[in-house]
Amino acid sequence: MGREVSESCVESLVAEIVSSYCRGFYADKPELAAPRIEAIGFQVGHQLSERYTMDRPRFTDHLEAIKFICKDFWSELFKKQIDNLKTNHRGTFVLQDNRFRWLAHMSVDPSVETTGSIQDPSAMAENRAAQATGLHLYFPCGIIRGALSNLGIPCAVSADISNLPACSFVVRIKA
Amino acid sequence: MIVCLAVVGHQNNPLYIQSFTEADDALKLHHMVHCSVDVIDERVDNPKKSGPTINETFLGLLCPTENYKVYGYLTNTKVKFILVTTDLDVRDADMRTFFRRFHAAYVDAVSNPFHVPGKKITSKTFAERVATIVKSFGLTTTG
Repeated sequence: MGREVSESCVESLVAEIVSSYCRGFYADKPELAAPRIEAIGFQVGHQLSERYTMDRPRFTDHLEAIKFICKDFWSELFKKQIDNLKTNHRGTFVLQDNRFRWLAHMSVDPSVETTGSIQDPSAMAENRAAQATGLHLYFPCGIIRGALSNLGIPCAVSADISNLPACSFVVRIKA
Repeated sequence: MIVCLAVVGHQNNPLYIQSFTEADDALKLHHMVHCSVDVIDERVDNPKKSGPTINETFLGLLCPTENYKVYGYLTNTKVKFILVTTDLDVRDADMRTFFRRFHAAYVDAVSNPFHVPGKKITSKTFAERVATIVKSFGLTTTG
């Protein structure tokens, strides 16, 4: 349609979704926030896949659909393609993005709390970074799951953030 | 002249069905749409019979009956568009253009956040856009 939105608006919106759901709507039941955010992502992915597959011929198999997600779908959303795709040829795919756009501007306070714990400070900071960013990955996981399920591939998607700013999305296709 | 348009979801559930005649044969047209869904399924499940164009979205003429021609279109998300027309000579290119515009209208209707996937499309904007597309199709082929 030709209308555009600034990228910083999208990033702020995603960050605010996570913040409102985790600290506002489900403040006393934080474990319910994650599935809710993932469900929102599911509907968005469902509708986006409808739009981005419009002019393409149909996919022949699961690998074609995953390659579509890695190339065209990812470039429409994040202006770049997935950097690395791995598979075990038994229904599991790992999509690795070396610099995930929505996490690129995220910083975590490196100061260590003096609670008397004997944990290694760098490990603690890494742990808190992982926790904070983990919440922000439910939405993109939902988007991938929604897009794939609209293409006829039911699956489960989880994110792996062992080395930021790179993050991997693990897609497990349900047999 | 286009007499009937239908959108059928991936579980063969009707999402939108609209007839464009004043006559009372809406039931007959609905029945024809239902049969064409079976033809589409048959074509998709038998890749050897349909030949090299297995991955195309536009499926072409499905089943010519005595008065009507039925055309089909299958999207990547397994949504089927079915069109019933009384025109005897319709150019392939016109059909493809029509389906492309219809697909664009469908995508816009489905992107509505208030639309529930799997339920019928109730958007008035979609109905108006479809009516415009149908009208302009009639003008280009008979003009």
